[in-house]
Amino acid sequence: MSVPIHISNAVKVFGADTVIDGLNLEIAPGEFFTLLGPSGCGKTTLLRMIIGFNSIDGGEFRLDEKLINDVPVNQRNIGMVFQNYAIFPNMSVADNVAFGLDLRKLPKDEIRTKVDRILRTVRIDHLKDRMPSRLSGGQQQRVALARALVIEPRVLLMDEPLSNLDAKLRVEMRNVIKQIQQDVDITTVYVTHDQEEALAVSDRIAVMNHGVIQQIGSPREIYRHPANTFVSTFIGLSNLIEATARPDGDEHEVTLLGEYAFRVPLTAITTGPVIASIRPEEFEIHLDGAEGLPATVRSSVFLGTSTHYFLTTSDGREIEVIQDDTDLDEILPGTEVRLTVLCERVNVFDAAGELNLIAR
Amino acid sequence: MRTKKSGMRTSLSWILLAFFVLFVVFPLGLVLYRSVFDVDSGAVTFDYFQQFFAKKYYWTTLVNSFAVTIVATLLSAVIGVPVAYVLRSTRIAGAKWVNVLVVISYLSPPFIGAYAWVQLLGRNGFITKALNGLFGVEFNGIYGFTGIVLVFTLQSFPLVYMYISGALKNLDNSLIEAAESLGSSRFRRMIRLIVPLVTPSLLAALLLVFMRVFSDFGTPMLIGEGYQTMPVLIYNEFMGEVSTNSHFAAALCVIVIVVAMVLFFLQRWLSNRYSYSMTALKPMEQKRVKGMRGVLAHVFIYGILVVALLPQITVIATSFMGTIGGVIYDGTFTLKNYENTLLTKGNEPILNTYLFGIGAIVLVVVIGTLVSYLSARHKTIPTMLLDVLSMFPYIVPGSVLAIAFLYGFSSPPVLLSGTAFIMIVSLAIRRMPYTIRSATAIMGQISPSIEEAALSLGATEVRTFWKITLPMMLPGIVAGAIMSWITVISELSSSIILYTAGTKTLTVAIYTEVIRSNFGNAAAYSTVLTLTSIISLLIFFKLSGKEEVSI
Repeated sequence: MSVPIHISNAVKVFGADTVIDGLNLEIAPGEFFTLLGPSGCGKTTLLRMIIGFNSIDGGEFRLDEKLINDVPVNQRNIGMVFQNYAIFPNMSVADNVAFGLDLRKLPKDEIRTKVDRILRTVRIDHLKDRMPSRLSGGQQQRVALARALVIEPRVLLMDEPLSNLDAKLRVEMRNVIKQIQQDVDITTVYVTHDQEEALAVSDRIAVMNHGVIQQIGSPREIYRHPANTFVSTFIGLSNLIEATARPDGDEHEVTLLGEYAFRVPLTAITTGPVIASIRPEEFEIHLDGAEGLPATVRSSVFLGTSTHYFLTTSDGREIEVIQDDTDLDEILPGTEVRLTVLCERVNVFDAAGELNLIAR
Repeated sequence: MRTKKSGMRTSLSWILLAFFVLFVVFPLGLVLYRSVFDVDSGAVTFDYFQQFFAKKYYWTTLVNSFAVTIVATLLSAVIGVPVAYVLRSTRIAGAKWVNVLVVISYLSPPFIGAYAWVQLLGRNGFITKALNGLFGVEFNGIYGFTGIVLVFTLQSFPLVYMYISGALKNLDNSLIEAAESLGSSRFRRMIRLIVPLVTPSLLAALLLVFMRVFSDFGTPMLIGEGYQTMPVLIYNEFMGEVSTNSHFAAALCVIVIVVAMVLFFLQRWLSNRYSYSMTALKPMEQKRVKGMRGVLAHVFIYGILVVALLPQITVIATSFMGTIGGVIYDGTFTLKNYENTLLTKGNEPILNTYLFGIGAIVLVVVIGTLVSYLSARHKTIPTMLLDVLSMFPYIVPGSVLAIAFLYGFSSPPVLLSGTAFIMIVSLAIRRMPYTIRSATAIMGQISPSIEEAALSLGATEVRTFWKITLPMMLPGIVAGAIMSWITVISELSSSIILYTAGTKTLTVAIYTEVIRSNFGNAAAYSTVLTLTSIISLLIFFKLSGKEEVSI
């Protein structure tokens, strides 16, 4: 039922700017695929090329192996959920959802059955006859989803669908979307700039920057093994610290700021400067002991499940560390501590920050 | 696919462009052409312009036009701004009805005001006679400069009022409170905050008033008595019984257009320098003012309202009065005037007014909606040209457009003069800029993604327009159409030039009855027109649910 999407050598030009230049992407049938990146990275542009609102200035877009470059929007049979929902204000909920079916000239009772069924799926069947002006944000979101799905599109596209909702509703609706996507079993391309949202809903994520895909992978892969320093800092937090590497037996010894060394396996024999990327939860704080990177606690924030510490190293660099064990007493500002790293989780990049050297 | 659907919109753009080329560029081009080519030799000449500026008889009309226009425009601001401010900031008893009545006083054509004021303050006017009898003076009535300025001021201040009132409504009360909390006095708040913030609206209103007054023909004709203004001169040179000269008239038209154009760009430049975007979450409060100040506020508002409504009241009252020979009122109540007009003369002017009005509205709404849709959603060279061309009639006075039409369409290949069609098209063209501007504002409210949603669900361009875009635009379009209807049926300056025996409208009928001194008949026709306007306005308020009108 669900179909794959193949994009090869995609090119998009706006005036004199080439915003996307030779992009390749393969999306598997039934996959929940997210395009994630900062605003202006080209993710929405790519999405609008798939549905056909943006012209394709080069390359091939294939849906279920068939070329769609020259198929009009209204014949691509792709469902889309818009950022502002784009509910037709002059039609009731049921009429909004039936709009696409009316165009397909289905018999009246079949339309009614399909509308009822999809409204039940998104759980707003009781709002059938409401006008859009009397719907909440979350309800409008469900109407938009129902309207896009009821035409049984080959692919579902979603353009930042949760950005207009408040924080609590955002979490609720992303679970709803994920659940419905699985129930309907439809290939979905989802655009967002919110990394937490992307991690929560996606089967795979493509992290984009400046029109270029930086990394494609499952949420776990991307978080644990970022391809470069852009991904490691855009997805979650990472402390980037200058370091030097030298081979030592099967592994390498990496020394942070010349003060603290740890051992990790690297993909190639490397000698000289590298960048260590260490997430706040990959540090351990020691109040005593000689081993570790010396640092001074500046301030802390208690968040219930964890405590965030802000420290400075001997050269004045700021470091953020998360301590999960809330049974421990607060470490007061001014305390001098030592930081060790969890060698099996840290990442090491080449000096340019463009290549992950860790072998895992 | 892009090419296919764009093809449809592109060809529509070209068709609309052809319409504007035929009815705007071509006739006005002829005016320009005739103004600089000699009648006999066909050589390029500036003689007609020289002739105008050489003879005092001619150039004083331009001076006169500027004099009445500037004075009336400023006076209308002097009255309109305080009325708007008082009604927005203080609680006035019956404020809602005051608002409606001020709008009504604006709706009737200025020349009816002129003729009504002649009835009141003219040589044999009611007030004149009363004054002369009471004080034993020889007051000869107001004519000339004073009369024209009086009529135009009273006719125009409601427009300033409407614009300023709208701007004050968008002024958030927190701005005033913030100024107050920072220690600004009432006077300082007015000068430093409120005046600058309403300046763009004031400039827009003043331009509109200026254009209307500058190009109005009926008022100076009826109350000017020898105080000749440009539109009157143009009319006389073009239509007059002696020494008509169409090339000289064309040169006059060009002068008027140039003046209007300069003003138009001046206003643009000024309002771009002072423009703010405001939307009030909490509009200004209407405070209850007690004591002397409250009384004064009421006297001020109601005093102006009564003066503004006097012409309408006069017209309706005199329409039920018996006359001797149409001129002298004998003070009896009678329906004779209605009998004379509606029953004896036939209802042709009324029927024509309704027919042409409806025709013009249909034309202006269809074309206006399409032009605003195309220039918002389909930016191409023809749509950009459309955008500019459709705005051009804004600066072309009615009499100039009518003359241009007669130049262009009095002989084959396009022989239209004397037909109902030419009347309808001229009314529609004159109203076009206003309709397009408001339709464009409505388009701006519709998010493109709503149309994209329809496309993604399988709808075609055309279907999306019919099922989604148009229904969303409709309430605004209907409201705009009613206002267009009210302005179109009270149009005189182009109709008076274009009409023939079969295409006489109500305004033309009123005007000719006044010229023939059949005041009773004129009053009866005016009452029909005024009632039509009032009923239409009430329908507008009812349908739109608004308290403001946008012109």
